[in-house]
Amino acid sequence: MSFAARRFAQAVPLLLIISALVFALIHAAPGGPLSLYLENPNVRPEDIERLRRAMGLDRPLGVQYLAWLGAFVRGDWGYSYADGRPVLDRMLERLPATLQLVAVATVVAVIVSIAVGILAALRRGADRATSVLAVAGLSIPVFWFGLVLQLVFSNTLGWLPSSGRTSFSGGGIADRVAHLILPVTVLAVAHAAGWSRYLRGSMRLALAQPFANAARARGVGESRIVLRHALRHALLPFATVVLLDASIMASGAVVTESVFAWPGLGSLFTEALAKRDYTVLMAFLMCASIAVVFLSFAADVAVHALDPRTREDP
Amino acid sequence: MMVIPPFRLVSRFAPSIGMAALLALGGCASEAGRAGASNDLLVVGYDREPDTMNRYATHILEDIQSCVVEGLVTSDEHMNIIPVLAAEIPTIANGGVVVRRDGGMDVTWKLRPGVKWHDGTPHTSADVKFTVDAINKGDWKPESTDGFDRIASVDTPDSLTAVVHYKEVYAPYQMQFFRGTLPKHVLDGRDIDKANDYNRSPLGTGPYRIAEWKTGEYVLLEKVNDYWRGPEYPKIDRVLFRFLANTTTRVNQLKSGEVHVVALVPWDKVRELRSVPTLRLNQVLGNGYEHVTLNERRFPAFQDVRVRRALAHAIDRELIVRTILDSLVTTVDGAIQPLSWAYEPDVRKYPYDTAAANRLLEDAGWKRGPDGVRAKDNQPLAFTIITQAGFAIRENVSQAIQRQFRDVGVNASVRLVDGTSISSLWFNGDFDAMLHWWQMGADPELTLFFAADRIPPAGRNINYFADDSLTRVLYASDRTVDQAKRAELLKAAQRRVAELVPELPLYNTSKIDAVPVTLRNFKGNPTNAGPFWNVYEWEVGAGRR
Repeated sequence: MSFAARRFAQAVPLLLIISALVFALIHAAPGGPLSLYLENPNVRPEDIERLRRAMGLDRPLGVQYLAWLGAFVRGDWGYSYADGRPVLDRMLERLPATLQLVAVATVVAVIVSIAVGILAALRRGADRATSVLAVAGLSIPVFWFGLVLQLVFSNTLGWLPSSGRTSFSGGGIADRVAHLILPVTVLAVAHAAGWSRYLRGSMRLALAQPFANAARARGVGESRIVLRHALRHALLPFATVVLLDASIMASGAVVTESVFAWPGLGSLFTEALAKRDYTVLMAFLMCASIAVVFLSFAADVAVHALDPRTREDP
Repeated sequence: MMVIPPFRLVSRFAPSIGMAALLALGGCASEAGRAGASNDLLVVGYDREPDTMNRYATHILEDIQSCVVEGLVTSDEHMNIIPVLAAEIPTIANGGVVVRRDGGMDVTWKLRPGVKWHDGTPHTSADVKFTVDAINKGDWKPESTDGFDRIASVDTPDSLTAVVHYKEVYAPYQMQFFRGTLPKHVLDGRDIDKANDYNRSPLGTGPYRIAEWKTGEYVLLEKVNDYWRGPEYPKIDRVLFRFLANTTTRVNQLKSGEVHVVALVPWDKVRELRSVPTLRLNQVLGNGYEHVTLNERRFPAFQDVRVRRALAHAIDRELIVRTILDSLVTTVDGAIQPLSWAYEPDVRKYPYDTAAANRLLEDAGWKRGPDGVRAKDNQPLAFTIITQAGFAIRENVSQAIQRQFRDVGVNASVRLVDGTSISSLWFNGDFDAMLHWWQMGADPELTLFFAADRIPPAGRNINYFADDSLTRVLYASDRTVDQAKRAELLKAAQRRVAELVPELPLYNTSKIDAVPVTLRNFKGNPTNAGPFWNVYEWEVGAGRR
């Protein structure tokens, strides 16, 4: 069996275990899709029982899980408990907004971390300054940072819209970009902080390698050594980290999206969590797990293909 | 020395390029997003996206729905039930209600003539009948069948008269069609659960229709041209509901002028909004009350009325209201609120009095130990108060109560629980005491909360409190249609509840809405009818209201 096939075969039981665990955890959390109804005196206890039966929530948990699993692998993700619409529809309509946010934030974070990482690898002063900034960037809570940016750039200065994906009356390209700036900043800062330190480390290593000295000896210009030789060498491990983190970025987007009322999957997830909308939660968490498993699989296969040292002896 | 020209270049100019871009983009964005409220467009910051627009399929009556779908009646800012699509409210006095000899009753609804659905089809008694039949048919999932399950049949002698035959006497009949009617010509013969055309954009008779629903972002309403109240209504052309789940974001947008109206401003945000000159904070009494529930089943010490009375005397409600709540609310002594026709002000009161509290606890046999905590038969008077996490006011109030209980030798600890989890905790009775509110229905029924047999899952008597005479009075009140007679029974019940104090009432849950100072005719609403009940007459004027 080829390496890729074996890694893939490992992923399937892993996802099965994850799905069972996630299903059990979600249902173990107190409350359910009907618990918000309890607060409303107009909803009679009889009604709640009737709805529980109608939703199939009175069946044993194992039965519910198997029913869900069977349908899920067949591509039937069920209906949302909250609004009765197909889960797939609900997720697909939110997907573009999240992809846009995460993609732009990843690009920005990659550019920033490459620039900052190289600078930090080369200059001692810049290294100190950027390491302080990186620690700050990593430790700032996402929701707090988002609210501060809103206060400064939206409330006080009035430069940028505080939330949403477009203005209701605007909707041009400038308007869309303006709405992106704050959430992208929040999301990019946290990742650029870590990534830039990572790149700085591998740049340092690369620049100390014999091939860098050899290039210097050959009279190659320093900027060419940095950009052509060292950076290329340092980018391989960096790309693996970025690939693995991209799925984590989606989880950071959950908080960012709710602070900036960004109409993506993250907001849908927060909403579904509060409502214990089991079908939506399961679909979301399974997609996230599949993404993580697949991306790490992709990273493994890529490294395996690119770096002969990771291959097994024949 | 290493020289890296490309990065130098970038680093030197990056800040200025970035700033310039920011300014350019920000300029257009804020122009577009910050127009003040006008009769062309009113922007509402809304705390959630509705699941459905079908008013019978949701437990939360959405404000958006009230702009589109009208009930036969609604409830106004004073909690009076007023006719909307009904020509008048049927009562015994006007002959609209007849109690039959077999114990049932007949209610005759006269519909307002000349009302049309937005597609031009007349609104008739056939729609009333269809609504009852659809809900009782049981092949879809209406959220509440309350009252409908007691209807045997509906007759429609003419297109504007619907006679509703109840199997038994049903006192809250006036609110039966508060949520409106379902359009027969659209939904007849269909699976309503799956009728997404209707559930996402319902056909109504109200002043607005849904022009656009952008998932996760907003719902845009536009006015209908031939609204039945006359061509001068509604005054505002478009109402935009933006979904802003995060409270701080919602308040920030209100302050920056991106949204104009926020209904139900949390009490702890009121102070920062007071200083915004373009806003008016409209306050009405709420139809709910904050209180401490005492679970007698879980913590048997609460079964002793002396202990309950002592705890009531131990809480300084005036202090809590003055300090934590900025006097935004008023203290109350029971479950039925002052706005209700059934309100009884003259009940036993429990003023803050630590001496009385200490005396009552001594009498009940709870003696102070060396640590200051009272105990009886080696059992300390110690319990846990659960309350909702993230609700800043409640977190502070629960701590104040904890402190005040401590002063009389009662050791209460506080546990914060997230909003969804807490309802299943109380539903299963897994708590000693709980700080929370009930938002009451517009009908002043108390049975669900205090009748001995209405403990979960049959009701919301989560004090697990039982008093036979109270239970008898409560059930009698449910079977009394005559409002004056029913009020007498409910007042007797309130006096009995205050006497036995099964829970500790604290304060009324005032409702505060933030609106532009220029918005006229905004009146607010204490009930779940919501503040949009009279949106047809809202108007943005030049100056203050």
